[in-house]
Amino acid sequence: MIYRKRGRVLRWENGIVVRVDESGLALEERDLFECRPAPFDVRHAELDELDEGDFLSAASSIAASIHDAEGVTIERLIVMHGVAVHEYGEKRWSDASHRVHVSLVRGRMRALLDLASLDAGAIVSVARTLARTGAAARPIPPRMRMAPNVVAALLPSLVAGAPRPEVRLVQTAGGIDGRGDPVIEATSGWPNWYRPSYRVRPLRAPLDVRLECAVTEIDRGLPVAVALLGPVDVGALPVLIDDGERPFPATLRLGRIEAVATQKRWYPYGAGSFGAEMML
Amino acid sequence: MTPGRYAVATLEELWSGGLLLERRLSHGRAIQDETGITADDVRDDALVAACSAALDAMRARVLSDARMRLIAEATAAAVVQTITVALAGLSIVTSPEHLDADVETMRRCIPRGGEIAAPRGVPLVWKNGSGALLLHEAAGHPLEHGRADAAWPPWLQIDVPLAMRRATFRDVPLLRMTTVAARQTGAPFSLPEEHVEVLLVDGGSYEPLTDMVTLKIAAAELVRGEEVTRVAPFELAGSRAAIAQAVKGAKGDPIRYPGVICSREGQELVVASYAPVLLTEHP
Repeated sequence: MIYRKRGRVLRWENGIVVRVDESGLALEERDLFECRPAPFDVRHAELDELDEGDFLSAASSIAASIHDAEGVTIERLIVMHGVAVHEYGEKRWSDASHRVHVSLVRGRMRALLDLASLDAGAIVSVARTLARTGAAARPIPPRMRMAPNVVAALLPSLVAGAPRPEVRLVQTAGGIDGRGDPVIEATSGWPNWYRPSYRVRPLRAPLDVRLECAVTEIDRGLPVAVALLGPVDVGALPVLIDDGERPFPATLRLGRIEAVATQKRWYPYGAGSFGAEMML
Repeated sequence: MTPGRYAVATLEELWSGGLLLERRLSHGRAIQDETGITADDVRDDALVAACSAALDAMRARVLSDARMRLIAEATAAAVVQTITVALAGLSIVTSPEHLDADVETMRRCIPRGGEIAAPRGVPLVWKNGSGALLLHEAAGHPLEHGRADAAWPPWLQIDVPLAMRRATFRDVPLLRMTTVAARQTGAPFSLPEEHVEVLLVDGGSYEPLTDMVTLKIAAAELVRGEEVTRVAPFELAGSRAAIAQAVKGAKGDPIRYPGVICSREGQELVVASYAPVLLTEHP
């Protein structure tokens, strides 16, 4: 069966605008995966036009949004808006996406954020926390919270790690997978296919994963890890902790998860993950 | 943004145990002007033909016991052929010209069991041109980031030409290394009785915020006089200043290291690497 994709992307990469328009196909025959550029005619209505003016305005706003966070600079800002039409056999579908990747720097600290909306609110919040941060590490609080963006970044590692009896990892139903099938609710066996590009061999993976816990009440008075300060490592997770006084950097070892809130938000980590506030 | 046009075709195959697993053709162009970059996948038949011909020749070199990625990339300037070989947990990046010699070097580095943990504080002798990897991280990346040069010994010349490079037609060109070429002139070299010989490097990184360099050593041997013991993979980390200070000697002409794929901003590029045998303290 042949998979076809036609896509347009607008990317704002550290101030440079990149427009990409391409189409291609991929096929799998036994063990061989093959892909190449190929024309793919789509109807005008199927593939949205990208409004460059609106996009540039949003990207510029994000870049300017941290101006009042003293001492904080943007090391890297990539903003993306993409639209695509897909076809797999008889199935045909389309989607649109926004992505923001930002690294904020203050001194020797780097906070990382990956978002699926052009809303600068989360970036401003982390930038302001970073601006108040002391350089010295402090004792890690025995009980604390993790912000949804930190939890979302953690989930792909939890999927790959040993099961934790206190929580359940669930693939969330909704949307279409890499072979044109509906994404269904699942906790194992991973029935759906992840295909981030026509150039990538699709693989079975948990899509749009979320974390569930019997306890959903979160103590809002606890210190909170608001952002990652480096790559995810379950055994040594570098985070920025805000305890309401002077925020500080710390390296956590993920202990027992006490609670996971029900309100969740989608983030572009792994094959998609829903972040919800978590209590340790 | 400097106005310009760029066109490329790339053909890539992944082989494992003599079986073809993946084949990817990519082609496109990027037009740069004052508004940014406009890229599409327009085909240049001559470039596609050039990389197809190159890959046909490379295919005959596939090994039946390794995992190999063959890449032929054609631009108006050149056809570049790259081969990555993974075998028994080790990997190298090479070219058709050097494939046989580099695979032979890699086979000699395959763990045979009985490895010991890397001893701390023992001097390191960087063989096979592997010192170029140390200099890639400690001199090359800082240069890309506009950092002032470290205090390298006066007998060590490190040539790191930079150029605007990109991994694909979809990418923004960045100022990147093309080559790391180190040479020595009149360097001291006194081989310590006990030392660790670095044979292959798995990877490394430079952190511009802290000026720290990290290297993962894939294959090494502890030498004590006539006694040679294989050392398990280990990691080295130190500040750039400490690494520059740790370089104590060098000998011979530059040796070509079996290639480096350097990743920055998600763009992977091959960087040619040459260094004489280097002697350093354990940073």
